[in-house]
Amino acid sequence: MPKSKPLKKSQNTAGKARFKVGDRVRVKDMPNLFYSRTQMYVRGVVGTVAACTYKDLIPEDEAFNRDGRLEQYYIVRFRQKDLWPEYPFDNDTLQTESPERWLEPVES
Amino acid sequence: MSARRELRQQQELIASLQPALHVPQNWNYEVDSPLYKAYLHPPHDVGGQFDAPILYEEKEEEQWELNTYVTCEVLGWRGIWNSEERRRRADNDLGYALYLGIPYYGRWILAAARMLVDKNHISLAELAEKIAEVKARYAKK
Repeated sequence: MPKSKPLKKSQNTAGKARFKVGDRVRVKDMPNLFYSRTQMYVRGVVGTVAACTYKDLIPEDEAFNRDGRLEQYYIVRFRQKDLWPEYPFDNDTLQTESPERWLEPVES
Repeated sequence: MSARRELRQQQELIASLQPALHVPQNWNYEVDSPLYKAYLHPPHDVGGQFDAPILYEEKEEEQWELNTYVTCEVLGWRGIWNSEERRRRADNDLGYALYLGIPYYGRWILAAARMLVDKNHISLAELAEKIAEVKARYAKK
């Protein structure tokens, strides 16, 4: 899917990635106001960083066509049982993607 | 919308779309926190919500759906909107009843029309007149 505007290197304002693969992170539960792409079912749940993917605009900016704030995205892996307590299989996981601002570190 | 009876029926149908929490909601003066959060919840975030089992259907795309897809993509390639505005925010902004009530590509085409009006590419009056003109042309056939 081509993007309407290619990202310029000079727009890359995110700096160094805050998290690395294997880090434990919790998804923040920030207020919904008009738009969000952070699913309700992952908020407040602890997962593990499975991959550092790319830097991109955050959804809250891109959704209103604001440029310039690139941020590191991560694939975060959750235990299905942590998301749905009644889930029957211990080993099953679910992965979803999140920009850095929606994640906070968890001391292990 | 000429006959008064037809108008009455249409008004009843509209009233039935009002968000209802077992009692109809209309201009509440007090909204508690869970209800506020529910109202502010973006319609597309449906993960984990309970639902009745539905029949899985392999539906082929219809011509109007393909036309809608191409129209929205072309608007993207011309830089009129980006994918996040297009597929996600604009669809959500149609509101909960419309988001859930119309077909997938119905959301897209309404969102596209809204965006073209919002960004001053066309005027709402111009669009309404054009739709009326096309409808009249089809009615003659």
